[in-house]
Formats: sequence, structure tokens, C-alpha cells
Amino acid sequence: MSDPIVVFDQITKSYDGINTVVHGLDLTIERGEFVTLLGPSGSGKTTSLMMLAGFEEPTSGTITLDGRLLNHVPAHQRGIGVVFQNYALFPHMSVAGNLSFPLEMQGIGRAERDQRITAALDMVKLGPLGERRPSELSGGQQQRVALARALVFQPKLVLMDEPLGALDKQLREHMQIEIKHIHEQLGVTVVYVTHDQSEALTMSDRVAVFNQGRIQQLASPATLYEEPANAFVASFIGENNRLVGTVASRDATYCRMMLEDGTQIEARLADDLAVGAKAVLSLRPERVMVGASGPETNQFEARIEELIYFGDHTKLRLSLGGSSGFMARTSFKDGLRDLQRGSLVMVSWSRDCGRAMAFSEQE
Amino acid sequence: MTASTILPARQRPTTGRLILYSVTSVLLVFLVAPILVVFPLSLSSGELLVLPTPGYSWRWYADFFSSQRWLLATYNSFVVGILTTLIATSLGTLGAIGLYLGRFRGKAFVLALLSLPMVTPVIVTAIALYFSLSAVGLGSTLTGLVLAHTVLSVPYVLLTVLASLQSFDPNLLRASASLGANPIQSFYRVVLPLITPSVATGALFAFATSFDELIVALFIASPDQFTLPRQMYAGIREFLSPTIASAAVLVILLSVLLLMINETIRNRAARHTLPPTHRTP
Amino acid sequence: MMSRRNLLAVALIAPLLLLVLVSFIVPLGATLYRAVDDAEIPTILPQTTALLKQWDGKGLPSEQTYQSLIAELREAQEQQKAGPVLNRLNFEETGLRSMLLQGLRASSRFTGSTKEGLIALNPRWADPHFWGLVKRSTGPWTHLYFLRSVDLKLGPDGAVVPTAEEEAVFVKLFVRTFEISLVVTLICAVLAYPVAYTLSILPQVWTNIGIMLVLIPFWTSILVRTTAWFIILQREGPINALLVSLHLVDQPVTMIFTRFAVYLAMVHVLLPFAILPLYSVMKGIKPDYMRAAASLGAPGWRRFLRIYLPLTMPGVAAGALMVFMLSVGFYITPALVGGSGDQMISYFIAFFTNTSVNWGIAAALAALLMGMTGILVAIAWLLVPGFRAGGVRV
Repeated sequence: MSDPIVVFDQITKSYDGINTVVHGLDLTIERGEFVTLLGPSGSGKTTSLMMLAGFEEPTSGTITLDGRLLNHVPAHQRGIGVVFQNYALFPHMSVAGNLSFPLEMQGIGRAERDQRITAALDMVKLGPLGERRPSELSGGQQQRVALARALVFQPKLVLMDEPLGALDKQLREHMQIEIKHIHEQLGVTVVYVTHDQSEALTMSDRVAVFNQGRIQQLASPATLYEEPANAFVASFIGENNRLVGTVASRDATYCRMMLEDGTQIEARLADDLAVGAKAVLSLRPERVMVGASGPETNQFEARIEELIYFGDHTKLRLSLGGSSGFMARTSFKDGLRDLQRGSLVMVSWSRDCGRAMAFSEQE
Repeated sequence: MTASTILPARQRPTTGRLILYSVTSVLLVFLVAPILVVFPLSLSSGELLVLPTPGYSWRWYADFFSSQRWLLATYNSFVVGILTTLIATSLGTLGAIGLYLGRFRGKAFVLALLSLPMVTPVIVTAIALYFSLSAVGLGSTLTGLVLAHTVLSVPYVLLTVLASLQSFDPNLLRASASLGANPIQSFYRVVLPLITPSVATGALFAFATSFDELIVALFIASPDQFTLPRQMYAGIREFLSPTIASAAVLVILLSVLLLMINETIRNRAARHTLPPTHRTP
Repeated sequence: MMSRRNLLAVALIAPLLLLVLVSFIVPLGATLYRAVDDAEIPTILPQTTALLKQWDGKGLPSEQTYQSLIAELREAQEQQKAGPVLNRLNFEETGLRSMLLQGLRASSRFTGSTKEGLIALNPRWADPHFWGLVKRSTGPWTHLYFLRSVDLKLGPDGAVVPTAEEEAVFVKLFVRTFEISLVVTLICAVLAYPVAYTLSILPQVWTNIGIMLVLIPFWTSILVRTTAWFIILQREGPINALLVSLHLVDQPVTMIFTRFAVYLAMVHVLLPFAILPLYSVMKGIKPDYMRAAASLGAPGWRRFLRIYLPLTMPGVAAGALMVFMLSVGFYITPALVGGSGDQMISYFIAFFTNTSVNWGIAAALAALLMGMTGILVAIAWLLVPGFRAGGVRV
């Protein structure tokens, strides 16, 4: 049953009247959901978040929070928690002071404030650090204080603007899990902005992929990964092989694509493509099977251009279909250890793994 | 500039380095020595300003503190200084906040105009004010002096506070709003505490500027409004007695006190500043 | 319609703007006005002024004019107001004061025409150039002060000519002012460099001490520092005492009231202004640049010349400009420790304001000084990257 908490209705934003940063955004966020706005820099995701927070005014369109129109409500009356990329902790207050701030703004009494602060600090596992100044904390600790501060006043909605960007890889992955746990614990709605697609996939219930001010696809991580709606989403999420060709023949579900060098590939139709239309084949490297041939319709012999060792798997760069950038992934099973540069190897994949989509200019 | 700039720091200093350090030390001593020379002179028991002094005595300080003229001059300096500081600091801080908040064309022009007293040679300002104050009857008054000193000090306050506002992290204000503080609350709880150190620096500088100011006082003050520097100047020109040295020592001690207060404020403020976080585009 | 925010901003700036306008801009404008204002004769000799304005300038003015001049002068003298007129005309041409006073005294004995009586007394009264001069001085504006401030004047036929040798002092003064300022600036720039560099590479503890040693004189009043030098450089002062006791000289050396003293004291006062911006720039130069240069094969002196020096140039320029601008307007230091040949332009601005009262020339000199400083600031604004008032962007 749908229980929307935030609704963006035809939100448009332009700073100078010429360049539009966000085009007619329609987005409904369900209560308790973890939604990520994902996209490259300049795609409009941060601007959309800022409009929701009240730091930017939409040029047109409406935003509602729990049915209440937010358009002219100033930021300090919205009751939305925000975690900033650079944390924005008040340097002249202690950690406890920072956490106490929103509670004081709400007029909450001393005793209850102290209680809530202690609870918040425990939630982010910073219990004994209440009296420290932010400048005395590490980056990871500051990030957790920022998180606690945005949650201590129990808002219905929390926004996070690339909060983990400044942390190193291990800490980042650890915090991703922590945030997810807190989300599940509190049941609060989270809108998260990031440009890191793996972060989006691990943490979110749904992801809105932004590009050039528009949502390209709004779906669960699995759907985005397995069934990207267009070429942009396919290349942005996960790794992707992108082969350009024309539709030689088709039926209801599958088509046969002809690449420039004559190679013919069978693939699943993702768009309703006409015969002769220019199309893009999207294929995940891990779907490509390396080694002995199997029953799949797509089987080719390719030459290995490069081997890249990743520890738990190896990536192969192959010459296939007229391009020398075809990527395949293998975990080195059964006698494939003798592979070298220049070797010829059989690769294959089922026709269900490749998706044929309408051609669009690669950004 | 030798190879030791890129080799580990624990190397024995090269000749180049030694020369550099000696030259620097000599120059630093050069900067401070003349100021220090005045101290023993003020304690001389003799009547002439010569070193080494014939003996030591507090007589010149006694002379200073029992002299009507010197005490009046000191009083005037403090009165003018404090009034100047109060007016310059308030107007300058408000102006800086206004310039920070405002988005109108001509902002650069206004800032240039308000900074003009700082780049104008003091003699020009002095005679301009002399002509004008005389014309309106404020020629030999403390009011005129306060007005003049305020105009001279206000650019420092303005620029100091404005600089600290501009280095202010705008996200702090957004954070404050997101946590429920309206603009006024945000100003009092977040902005004000963080700009207070630079307001204080501006105030100290305004006081020092007024207290040490001589040229304007030369034109505008008659004996009843003589400030300490003006009185000292008269003393040097007319009768060079060691009382001047004791006056100088007192002024130096005040300057050093102001400097210490300023450094303390700046150090405390620096400790609060967060280390710059890595910002991704 | 201005937004609420802008309205608030304007309200906050207004009191300050008002103060600066009323207490600074207006007085400055009034001073400029005073450099061209010609009010003495129209105010004190109104009737004569009216008559001269009607006179066509050819030949000599009427008898009535002569009489009017004498009569109004006498009246002014009785009210003690004749001074400004006499000074004004005398400044235009030396000797006119005595000529007028002589005429005034003699005229009480005239029986017939005042005009003839005066001409008989002194042929100058029949000089059309003299009357042309007086007519020019009936205002309301005059070029006199600005011309004189660059050693020019209006000659007999109204053309601009150089003033007489003994009156042509101002250009020399400006040159001297620039000369002294330039020398002081160069010395400060050269001395500041090693000090700033050392401070920027020392460990924090030593740097703090060093910076303190620079800040103490910076915060100490200029008068106190100059007074200290005044005392130190005396014949009976400590330096001479030291030199004599070490038998380096037989007699105490005269150091006070010399150009040397001026340079010494001014460098001492201004050196912190050169050190601090330079230190700040040097502190911001990453050691990685020098390391990169070394790894690319540049020897020490080359690294300095090609990489370090250019990087520090903005700091050098900022400091040098600051020092130059300040020294051009210096007054106290040369006045206290310099000789009569060492005084800078500000001394004379003060002289003409207080001592030999001639507010016109004082204002003109001040305006020129201000103009020159303005040009310097404009050059700095354009050429030196990062030179903004106090480093503040708008």
C-alpha cells in the first residue's frame, strides 16, 4: 500500500533562466524508504535535494511533505534533518552542544535533552565523546556526529548529501552498513545523494538515476542492474560492454544485431526497435563465459589483449566485434590459468544477458 | 636555497643556512632593540638622555604621574580611544555584515569607498578634517578628534570582520536552519560567536590606531585636548626630558598588552577551526 | 523592488556609509575645492571685484577702480581682515604685499586722482600685467595653487610658464619624496626577504618567537619608535657612546638630522609592513614545488630563481607597494630625525596649513599627493594578482 511522504511534482530549477538544472522532476518517496539520488556531477541530484531541504527555491513545480506544501516554507520550519558533505559541525560547540542545538530550538527541557543526546551518541557509538570539540575528532567521528545531530530531534525525513565522500574506502564501506542499520532501526525516511553507484546499490530500497536534470530510471537496485532502461543507466551502473550495431532481424522478444564488422549477436530487446534501426548492445562482463563453449547462441573466438588481476577475479580485455575494449570477467576455474596476452580464447553468453537498446549519443 | 630543503631535516645546517639565520637574527634584533633602549633610559637618574645612565631612579615615572599635563594627555587618549573603538567597532561590524548579506550592484564601489581612509595618506586626511572641523566649530574638541579617529580606524574593523565572514562556511548556516533555527537565532548562536574573534581584533586595532595617532591630533587638538602622542611630540620638540622616555615605555607596554590579547584571541579561535575536509566536486 | 535581505543589508551599511561620507568624503572634496577656490578678493573687496569684472582688461582700469581698491583695503585693514588678500596676491607674485601697503599708506596724502598718485608713487601701479593678475584673482576659481604646486605660473600674457628659480621648490620636493620612498622601499624589500623566508621555514616554536619580534614594533606607535631613534642617534646617544668606547671613531658622529637618520628610522618603522605579507605568501608555497624542480634536475640557485622567486613575487609586490604608499605620506619621522633638506611633501602640507598659512597651496599639494597615491593603488589593483584591500573579495 502506497504511503507517500514526499512528492516532487514537475519540479524545475534554473538559476539564470537559460540553463535548466532540473527538468520537470516527478518523484514520489514512500514513508520509511531509503531512496538514493544517483548521478554524475551536475546531473541535478544535489540541487533536487537542496530544494527539498529548503536551501534552494524551485523555479516551478511543487514539493509536498506529508501532504503539506513546502514551496514557500523556509528551511528552518521544515523539520527535515540534513547531513552535509563537509559535516558542517559547529566548531565553537562541543559534540553535545551540537546535538543539543536542535533540541533547544524545539524548546525541549534540559533533562530530556540530555537523555536524547546520550541516546543519539550511543546510536552512533560515540558515547564518551560528548565533551570533545569537533576539531578534536577524526573525519569518521565527525561524520557520525553529523549523523547523530540530524537524527536527534527525530525528524520524519533525513537528507544526506554525499556524506561519506571524504572518508577512506574501508571506513566508507563500514559507515554504509552503519547508516543502513540506523535506517532500519529508526524507520525514518532517508533521501541520499551520491555519485558512487556501488554505494547506491548496497544501501537503497530504490535508486533514482539522474542525468542532465532528468531521472533516467527509478527502480530497485536489482532492477537497475539487471534491466537498465537505457544506455546511460546501463553504463553508469555496474560495468558494461557497449556494442553499437543495427538490427538485422527481430521477433517479439529477441533480435539479431549486426555489428560494424559483420559480427552477429543475438540479444534481448529492451526497446521496441525496428529492423534496420541503430542500436546499442549492453552486456555485463560477468555474464560472459570464458573458456569451453556451451549451448549459448553467442559464441566467439576472441584474442586476449590484456589481463588484469583483481585477486578474487580477473578481467580480460578482448578483441571482439571490431573493438579491442570488450571486457569479460572470470574467476579462473578449470585450466584457464595458462591464459596470456595474445592467446585466443572462446567466449560466450546467452542471448538473455545482452540487452539491445535504442542508440543515443554517449555522454 | 640549498639541497637541505629537500633532504631530511636533521642535517647539519650548511653555511648558507648559517648566514641566513645570522642575517635574520640581526634584523630581528634591529627591529626590537630601539624599542628596548627606551626602557633603561626611562629609569635614568640623570637629566639627559644618554646611555649608559648615571644611575637608576623612578623619578621620571613619578614626574609623569604627578604632572597635570601628562595625566590630562593620558586621560584624553583613553577617552578618545575608547569612544573611537566603540563607534568604529559597531559601525564597522554592522557594515561588514551588511556587505556580506547584500547582493546589489555597486557593492564593490561601496567597499572601495569605505576603505578609502585606509589608502589615503594620513596628512591628507588630517588637513581635510582640520579644514572641515574648523568650519563647523569642532576644531579644538575631543568630539572632532573622536570623529577623525573613527574614520581612520573603521576600515580596519570593516575589512577584518568582512574577511572572516567571507571565510565562513555557508553550510554552517544551512545546518543551523535545518536544525530549526530561524535567521535571527542562527545569527546569534552560530555567526556571532564565530566572528567575535575578528571583531575583537578589529576593536583592538581601532584602539591602537586611535591611541597612537599623532598627525590628526597635531592639527585638531589644542593643549586641552592633547593626547599622549601629541604631548610627547611637544615634549620632543621643545624640551627633551626623560619623562618622555617614561611616557614612551608606558605606551610600549600598552601596545604589547594589546598585541598579547590579540594573539590569545586568535590562538583560541584557531583551536576551534575544523581541519579542512576534502571536498569532492 | 529590493528583497528583504538587501533592504536589511543596506540598513546595516547605511550608518557607516554616512559616517565616511560626512567625515571623510565631504571634507576631502572640500579640500579639493579649497585648492581652486578664490574667495579672498571677492569676499573682502566686493566692490573692486565688481568693477574689475566689468573692466575689459585692455589698458588700465578706471580711477574709480583704483579708489575702490584703496578704500576697501583700508576698511579691511581696520577690521584686521586685510591679511588674506595681501597674502593671496603676494603668493601670486612676491612684492605685491609691500607695494599695496605702501600705496595704502601714501594714499591718505593724495590730493588729486588716486590713480595718478599711485602711479607716481610706484610705476607698477600702471603695469597692465599687475591689473590682469588682480582681475584674475577675483575668482571664483583659480589655477594658481595647482600650477604652483608643480612650479608653474601664469605669465604676463596668460601663458603657463615655470616659476622663478627661488620659488620653484615643489617639483624638487615631490622628487625628493619619491626618491626617499623608493630607497626605503628597496631596502625594506631586500631586508624583508631573508627574514620572511627564515620565518617560513623554521619550526613552529622559533617562528612564533620571530613573528612576535616583528609584531611588537608593528603594534608600537610610530612616534615611540621614531622617538627612540631620535634618542639613539644623538651625539651623546648610545651608538656614539659605543663607537667612541670601541675606539672606532675619535669624535661622536653626527647622525641625527641627516638623510641617513631618515632612511634608518623609516626602514625600521616600515620593515614589518614588508615582512608580514611576504611571510604570509611564503608560508603558502608548498615545498613540493621545490622538490619537483629538484627532481627535474634544477640546481639550488636555479630552483630559487625560476620557481621560488616568481612564486613569492605577489608578496614582494604587496609589501613593497604598502611600504611605498606609506612612506610617500610620511611626516613625523623625517620631521623628527631629518634635517631641513630631508623633509618630504607632507611636511610642507603641514607647514602651509599651520605655520605659513596658505590653505590653497596646502590643499593643492595634498590633492596631488592623494592623486599619486591613487595611481599607485590603481596600478597595484591591476597588476598585482591577489592585491585587494586586505585580501577581501567582493
